[in-house]
Amino acid sequence: MHAWLGFAALALVLWGITGVTQKLSTNRISSERSFLWFCWAMVTLSGAVLLVERPDYTLRGIVVICSIAGGALNGLGAWTSFRALESGGKASIVISLISLYPLLTVVLAVLLLHERLTWMQSAGAVTAIAAAILLSLEPASKTGPSSGSSAD
Amino acid sequence: MPLWLLWSLATIVLWGTWGMVSKIASTGVDAYLNQLFYTAGLTPLMAFVAWTVYRSKAGRKREGQAAGVFWAFLTGILGGLGNIAFFEALVKGGKASVVAPVTALFPLVTVLLALVFLRERLSRVQWLGLGLAFAAIYLLSA
Repeated sequence: MHAWLGFAALALVLWGITGVTQKLSTNRISSERSFLWFCWAMVTLSGAVLLVERPDYTLRGIVVICSIAGGALNGLGAWTSFRALESGGKASIVISLISLYPLLTVVLAVLLLHERLTWMQSAGAVTAIAAAILLSLEPASKTGPSSGSSAD
Repeated sequence: MPLWLLWSLATIVLWGTWGMVSKIASTGVDAYLNQLFYTAGLTPLMAFVAWTVYRSKAGRKREGQAAGVFWAFLTGILGGLGNIAFFEALVKGGKASVVAPVTALFPLVTVLLALVFLRERLSRVQWLGLGLAFAAIYLLSA
């Protein structure tokens, strides 16, 4: 197995668990407060990272900008997904629609980063997005507060 | 265009772009520092949300609040560790165009956990999604 696939699978499992813990949280407190405590945990984790690693001040500017932009983009994405749900969008439609986000990553990576996919990987990307959409469709009887499908 | 659709499309653009910029970042920074910078990028939004929570007086004591905070905090820790694994996958040579669709399958784990621990029932469509998810992982790892 490729090393990258192992880490991708680990991310999948950890983010998958957050789907449950986020739901357990938003069943008890507002999505805003939940998001805030989520952010405090990120700050705590970053504090732990700082204990073992010092920022490298020779890093390329573009790398640092992209890294910081990543946090802003992902956080804002979580916020806009909550706004979509609060603006009257049906959870089943909103969550299915936003599950399309990897499609944009694929398009941008191919166009801007010049990545090339084999036909099997292309089929896999399409299948993955279809699977994510189907998995996000909760049974109609389950209408608890939607925790969204944040990527973080 | 309905407002919810606009917010949904904005989410696709924001998260879709995140995958690409993370790949660029991973060419020059390790996964841990990437998470550190990521949190720095998250801070302005955190301040904004803190302000809205303060304004709405959402801090009123409510039953189950401590448990809600605990689960939210755990979500952040697990989410952050998931980010580090995601960044490491990119550092290890994973293409953004492959890693993003693989990790986007995380509802697979959520659904399985909800099935086992929360005793939620899966719809036929979700079972189909489960099957497709495994097929996708096989195809993407080829």
